Amino acid sequence: MLNTFQQADHPILPTATADEASRQEFAKSFKGFIQSTLLPGLTPIYQGRVARSFEKSNGRAPADRRDIRAGMVDDIYFQHYASANRVAQELLWESVVSSIDRQLPELNAKAAQLSGAAKAALDIPADFVPPRYVTALDIHCMPGGYCSEVCEDDISVGALYDRGVYLYSMGYTGPNNDDMGRSVVNYLKRHMPDFQPRRILDMGCTVGHSTLPYKELFPEAEVWGIDVGGPCVRYAHARAAGMGLDVNFAQMNAEETSFPDGHFDLVVSHILLHETSGKAMPRVFAEAHRVLAPGGLMIHADLPPFDLMDPFTQFILDNETWYNNEPFWGAMRDMDQIALAEKAGFDRSQVRFDTAPMAVMEFAAAAEGYSQEASEHVAEREFTAGEFAPGGGWEVLIARKADAAALAA
Amino acid sequence: MTEAENRPHVIRYAKGKRPQFYETPGMDAAMSMIMVLASEVSVLRDRLDSAERVAKAGGLDLAAGIEKLELDQDALEAREAARQDFMTRLFHVQLKDADEAAQAQTDDAFKATIHEIAQQ
Repeated sequence: MLNTFQQADHPILPTATADEASRQEFAKSFKGFIQSTLLPGLTPIYQGRVARSFEKSNGRAPADRRDIRAGMVDDIYFQHYASANRVAQELLWESVVSSIDRQLPELNAKAAQLSGAAKAALDIPADFVPPRYVTALDIHCMPGGYCSEVCEDDISVGALYDRGVYLYSMGYTGPNNDDMGRSVVNYLKRHMPDFQPRRILDMGCTVGHSTLPYKELFPEAEVWGIDVGGPCVRYAHARAAGMGLDVNFAQMNAEETSFPDGHFDLVVSHILLHETSGKAMPRVFAEAHRVLAPGGLMIHADLPPFDLMDPFTQFILDNETWYNNEPFWGAMRDMDQIALAEKAGFDRSQVRFDTAPMAVMEFAAAAEGYSQEASEHVAEREFTAGEFAPGGGWEVLIARKADAAALAA
Repeated sequence: MTEAENRPHVIRYAKGKRPQFYETPGMDAAMSMIMVLASEVSVLRDRLDSAERVAKAGGLDLAAGIEKLELDQDALEAREAARQDFMTRLFHVQLKDADEAAQAQTDDAFKATIHEIAQQ
């Protein structure tokens, strides 16, 4: 299956020269090669070599992902695999960094122009301090992280994320990087056709790529995207305006927003939780509960928790923690999210995990480079750790806030 | 300051200590360099492919011409010389080792020379 997926252009997306585009394509191809061709080799290496030698020296079989890791890090095949993964990640960012560096002042000016003409709000408070869990390390090795600003009105890390995450996902999030949001909206439309949220909040929206499908599919709703990264929401606002959608953005921490109680009917997040912290995650749940109206829904889309997979799969997923600057990636997957939601005020009977099938095959076939066959291939396969697109769908935690009557009782 | 010096620059290095995957010192850097070079080879190949496609759109079928090209003696010699020259540069460190052996250059002699010159 050849992946020829191409990102759709929009007015604020950085352009690439022919050589820059080739470098970016190479990074995307290299990631694809690692996942399709090097990753499967880890299983026979583990079973045929590492597990046996672990047993020999420890007198027992590896019991959990920590044991597996202890054995695998000394194996040359694993070293090549992990090194290749890291280098691919570095090549990916470098290929986009140098491209944005060439055009940064022009991009910043263009973003300001698009934002200036937009009706929707953009709120970036002057005194905002981003939390340490996003500034201590540059998450997924993205130079500058989400919050760095190298000049006034800077959008550089927003632009870097938009292009970089497309390459990271190898296009499996669709031509507009919006598959996660689109998949959740599809899920809602299918399972709750009468649900018509008046106000929607996307927590940790980065560049608003997952936020926009909510406005597209609930056009009457007031939609807000919030993120701790100033350059990200600045870029997100310009991006939405360039794509003709009125979506509001603000630099805000999902642990403590400035919205009134009961303001939203739907609060969502997409791959946010694993980039928070042990203390922040419960606070995000509590804040979602507070800003939800009675009967409202909280939905967090992420990868599955560890208790839903075997230790070897856990080990592969946990490589992100050790090699890709994702400090909370592993620990988050060990947390009891149902209990956390209950503690935040949701009734346990109203909290559950489900799978939102990937929307990619429903909308991508018409876009450049997206064949129906390739889109179906990704949407229909089983969950495989170490690959970007999980296949089968996105794991969603869904919690419904009690109705007004139940809350009063 | 010129306009170029005033231009802001995107951050290049991600904050966070880079893990090392290999025990052999320098191996991590070498693997990274190899893949950067592989990326540039791929970029060049893409560019040649673009050149062929652009030329073809302009009525010149370079790709077919390349396949049909018969190398004359001059071309054969030029290419073979270029390949040998390339491999000589590629194996610089190994060849230097042989040269040192031939000239009996050793670590000890090198250090002795430094010491000796400092005294002169």
